[in-house]
Amino acid sequence: MSLENLSKLVEEGEAQEAKVLALKLLEGGSDPLEMIEAMTRTMAHVGDLFAKLEIFLPEIMLSGEALTEVVDALNPYLDSAGGREIKGKVVLGVVKGDLHEIGKNIVKLILETSGFIVKDLGYNVDSLTFIKEAETFGADFIASSSLMTTTMPRQLEIIEILKAKGIRDNYKVVIGGAPTSQMWADKIGADLFCYDAKSAPEQFTAVLADK
Amino acid sequence: MSTAYRHWEIIDRARTGKFMEEDDFLPRHFSPTLKKLIKKYDIKYDPKNPSPTDDAMADRIWQAAWELFREVGYYNTDSHRIIEVTDQEIKEALYMARDQYVMGGGKDATIMKHRSVEDPETPFCIMSPDITVDEKYHQSMCMAYLKEPLLDGICGPILEETFGHLIESGGPTEISGCIQHIQNQKMAARLLGRPDTFMVAVGTAEHDSGQIAVSNDDWGVQKTDARLVGSLTEFKTADTLLNRSLHYAQYGCYTGNLTGAIYGGWCGGSEGTAVTTVAYSLIGLVIHGAAFNQHFPFHLNYCSNTTRELLWAISMAGQALSRNSKLLYTSNGFANAGPMTEMLFRETAVHAMVSTVSGWHLWEMASARNKYRNRATPLEARLGCEVGHAVAQQKMTREQVNEISNKLLATYEDHAADAPMGSEYHECYDVAKALPTVEHMDMFCRVKDEIAQMGIEFPY
Repeated sequence: MSLENLSKLVEEGEAQEAKVLALKLLEGGSDPLEMIEAMTRTMAHVGDLFAKLEIFLPEIMLSGEALTEVVDALNPYLDSAGGREIKGKVVLGVVKGDLHEIGKNIVKLILETSGFIVKDLGYNVDSLTFIKEAETFGADFIASSSLMTTTMPRQLEIIEILKAKGIRDNYKVVIGGAPTSQMWADKIGADLFCYDAKSAPEQFTAVLADK
Repeated sequence: MSTAYRHWEIIDRARTGKFMEEDDFLPRHFSPTLKKLIKKYDIKYDPKNPSPTDDAMADRIWQAAWELFREVGYYNTDSHRIIEVTDQEIKEALYMARDQYVMGGGKDATIMKHRSVEDPETPFCIMSPDITVDEKYHQSMCMAYLKEPLLDGICGPILEETFGHLIESGGPTEISGCIQHIQNQKMAARLLGRPDTFMVAVGTAEHDSGQIAVSNDDWGVQKTDARLVGSLTEFKTADTLLNRSLHYAQYGCYTGNLTGAIYGGWCGGSEGTAVTTVAYSLIGLVIHGAAFNQHFPFHLNYCSNTTRELLWAISMAGQALSRNSKLLYTSNGFANAGPMTEMLFRETAVHAMVSTVSGWHLWEMASARNKYRNRATPLEARLGCEVGHAVAQQKMTREQVNEISNKLLATYEDHAADAPMGSEYHECYDVAKALPTVEHMDMFCRVKDEIAQMGIEFPY
């Protein structure tokens, strides 16, 4: 019964066993913040394996679910220990007219397991919905994905509506998706072109530091 | 006849099938079932052999694919219901499926027929850039592809703008762009003297309204042409997609089922990619009444399918389909490198030879990870199709293809992640004349000679 065992269970995606062990470790006096830090390192390792495709999407999703179980178990203890660091709040979705969401789902998982709070709006999301949800959620980021060239203009539409409402500077606007590029981000005035899922936490953190 | 007459039963099931939350469908239903079947049928990836010769495994992949479709079904994201089919219905659809169709019209008509493994009959060659192109190059690029002698069918470049307006999916600009797309393509075919060439159109349509707007035997997509209906990754559909297959059937054109199982995604590794690809052919037949299937399995990180883990999956899927059905299916190449690079030519050659010997027809060639505007030309498609013709006509075996593929893979597979993006169309083609530049043609000839020296006997 150790942090190493907990890390192994999370890596193997054994959600229920991980939750039980996490609670036992807490009862045994383990520091919840240390446990969270260890789990963050574990997920970074899992993320590296996935980036190299030494494991595949179903496996990393299971690890993510196991981590969620552990974090949920730890949450009541974290406040008294000083609270878990929240790196940023993100509303995330696939733009209107686009039904492809695998990339968005991977980014969501990587962000969540790296300390971001993500509100997933799903796919085929109206541009105004991104903004209303960001306002309600108190988001730092509005992140939109587009897999089709003919749905990319919706990413521009989000920025145009933000400007029309006079709240452009309230959010960091992030774009991503296979046909998007730094050139497209520059053209429409996005704050960040997220070029891959693995580096998303680092990229988001850097952009927020510029705020 | 196809199974299109079953559309209404399928549509009914899309409304009344078993309910499941979408978030549960892939992680708790599709992936575990696929994993179980891979184990049950002892399917194992062999990295040494991009063109494997294991007939028994091909047959087991077929069985696994059949069970995957029957056990998992096909999820409709609009109704949150699973469309399920029975063994009997799959059998009926396979019995009723035709093993050949006449594509295109008049003197330009060509026959696509079922191919066997190591078939001496040449593959049906559809050429396509599979990429978006500037409006000012669209007409020229259509002409350039239609000038290719081995082209049996064309799927033209995709427009992003129409008369200066950005095309937005589902909006009026898409309808206009789709009309512009098909008219450019038809005009190019007429000007070149092959007016009734088979076309798969129009790629500019992301939404069903764009497709429906161009169904017209006088000026648009004709009944002798084909249209594609896609899937959502993996095993998911939506009303906008079912609208398409119903419309295609009612209009009377050919339906092609467009799918790309993602290596590294929900179907896992090479084994799952092969099984899923085969299952998609059954889905195309039974759900959409497709006359042919258009498959482009690809790598999650690279968006390509010319590395060995994808080539193995393509080869095994082709062999499984060939040995166990009379279906028609095209293998769509996705390269890492961009135009006018030796790497792209080599990637295309390997994709074409592995696909051809494994029973596929060819659909060549998306380049530069199918990501960058204007980065595709007919010359890489020409090489792929010439390789395909050669492999068939000289009756190459899978072992022979395997040997040459491994030699060519050694020249590029370490560069999959940092492949050169090459040139844009206008940098390696004379846009006005729709012909390759001298430099581009020289590179084509150089790589072709290199491949010929490895044992490929080009027909000319």
